[in-house]
Amino acid sequence: MKKLLLLVLFILISGEKGTLPFFGFFGGELMANGSKEDKDNLANLLPSEINGWRAEGKDEIYDSETIFDYIDGAGEVYRSYNFKKLLARRYTRKGQSDLVADLFDMDSSSDAFGVFTHDLEGEEAGIGQDSTYKGGLLSFWKDRFFVSLYAEQETKETQDALFALGRVVASCIKREGEKPGIVSLLPTENLAEKTAHYFHNHMILNYHFYVSEENILFLDQQTEAVLGIYKLGKEKFYLLLIRYPEAEKASRAFGSFSKSYMPDAKEPGLVQTEDLKWTGIRLRKNFLLIIFNAPSDSFAKETMDKIEKRIGYNKDNLNLSLLFEKTRSKK
Amino acid sequence: MTEKLITRRDFLRVASMAPFAGAFAFGLKGTRLDKAEKARVILIRDENALVSFKRPNPDVMQTMLDEAVATLLDEKDPVQAWKKLVKPSDVVGIKSNIWWPIPTPKEVEQAIKRRLMDAGVPEEKIGIDDQGVRRNPIFQNATVLINARPARTHHWSGMGTCIKNYIMFVPRAWDYHGDSCADLATIWKDYNLKEKTKLNILVMLNPLFHGIGPHHYSDRYVWEYKGLIVGQDPVAVDSTGVRILQAIRRQHFGEDRPLQPPAKHIFLADTRHGLGVSDPSRIELVKLGWKQGILI
Repeated sequence: MKKLLLLVLFILISGEKGTLPFFGFFGGELMANGSKEDKDNLANLLPSEINGWRAEGKDEIYDSETIFDYIDGAGEVYRSYNFKKLLARRYTRKGQSDLVADLFDMDSSSDAFGVFTHDLEGEEAGIGQDSTYKGGLLSFWKDRFFVSLYAEQETKETQDALFALGRVVASCIKREGEKPGIVSLLPTENLAEKTAHYFHNHMILNYHFYVSEENILFLDQQTEAVLGIYKLGKEKFYLLLIRYPEAEKASRAFGSFSKSYMPDAKEPGLVQTEDLKWTGIRLRKNFLLIIFNAPSDSFAKETMDKIEKRIGYNKDNLNLSLLFEKTRSKK
Repeated sequence: MTEKLITRRDFLRVASMAPFAGAFAFGLKGTRLDKAEKARVILIRDENALVSFKRPNPDVMQTMLDEAVATLLDEKDPVQAWKKLVKPSDVVGIKSNIWWPIPTPKEVEQAIKRRLMDAGVPEEKIGIDDQGVRRNPIFQNATVLINARPARTHHWSGMGTCIKNYIMFVPRAWDYHGDSCADLATIWKDYNLKEKTKLNILVMLNPLFHGIGPHHYSDRYVWEYKGLIVGQDPVAVDSTGVRILQAIRRQHFGEDRPLQPPAKHIFLADTRHGLGVSDPSRIELVKLGWKQGILI
């Protein structure tokens, strides 16, 4: 019995995100626990031809150091999600504009989901675990991969080809990945976008919602943050939930934000800002919760109360989930 | 941390004082605005600037550039105006931009080159380059730079600007990525580019006002503005351009949709680095040509 338990534990640890090691023998599927060889085989996820478009030239591979050679400053976005490798392939067809396939190996499903949430514009495309299509760009995530398929000019033909290509790529990624647990702590009702934005560092926070030039919330690659943008009639309010590795760091961030952002607060953790809206902050163990643009102080308090309860109710599960994620992320 | 920390609340404070002022909240630290003279910026537009989508009319480009430079420098003859910028002994680099969806148009590059030659600069002393400027002998020995690039939103700096166009002079561009490229203006001083730059041209023929995906581009967000913004102060030129981009975004999206991230490097170029003037009240904006849909 003890041996059986050890075997199960071994399988869970060695198969990151739950993929069993021996799955790699089947059908050209890319292994989620990615050895170097497996990662070099990102190309296996792409067909050589789709709807008359053929792969042209050599595939290009970029890592976190070289990505700027490919997509300039946008590379910072993928670096901020700890991305490991990008494969870029161009497809050409006579008389049609080129298609560009970018496959990002994000090394974890959390970050694949996260980088997908960076740019949520567009219609659901029904491909992968979540997807969007807009303006000649099809994006989706599945397992630990973020996939961007792009037509240099949008036409009916290129759109059809992008969707066909997306379906092929998604079918080659056999497994699905888990969304980060923290995302489920924010309410989904009245979200202005299809999901909240998941990220790690303050540069991405400022991208979606400018808070401060300095990193007053002490966000870094170890923190997990989720930003929900909510409709309230014609107005919007924002919920930011951050999970720190330690409660002590959360506490310091609470102090920093209170001092820098709400020095004029008349009651702890709640202030009316210059636009006559309300900002509130709560600290609960290793979580920080902030509401921006609340229409009233009572709305801010009630909303934060509800989410605090969710954190409380879920804390045991969350801790287990955290432990589980850490265990599985070991190589 | 800096002495006075800028937060969203500074933005809100300024925005609550005056419409549009919110965009300049990042300039709160500035002290130079009371001292500088007005920077002249020419916005010129022509309804016939494009022959088709993203294809400029070369003759119209030449005319627009001539009129803009002559007006900028108070000359009737464009060649005389160019002679105020260069002398025959100069070595001149035209800093272009090759970003494939919207590069600096060849028609604009050639219009500049033609007038440089008319002003007496030999052709062999004129170079046009973007990513190769560090290795290009013309740029290595340049006594004058002409800075010409298209306007577009940018994934990390908010906007691709004349200020940002000099990023290719640095060996490690990502060294300037911090805080959404807040301190791009330092490039102009660090690499001795400020004094050499005699003219900045922000090409507004078909700007990109919104970007999507890793490549930050879709034809859907390109609009035919058919303009050029021309000036000697790069900050004033960019500040004018960003106001137009913000205006078209407001019009297109039906709501105030600030650039993501905000193009604060423009305003910090003024208030933190003293490269030029970003405050519209300190800019003399001269509008020439086609007025329909001018947005400013």
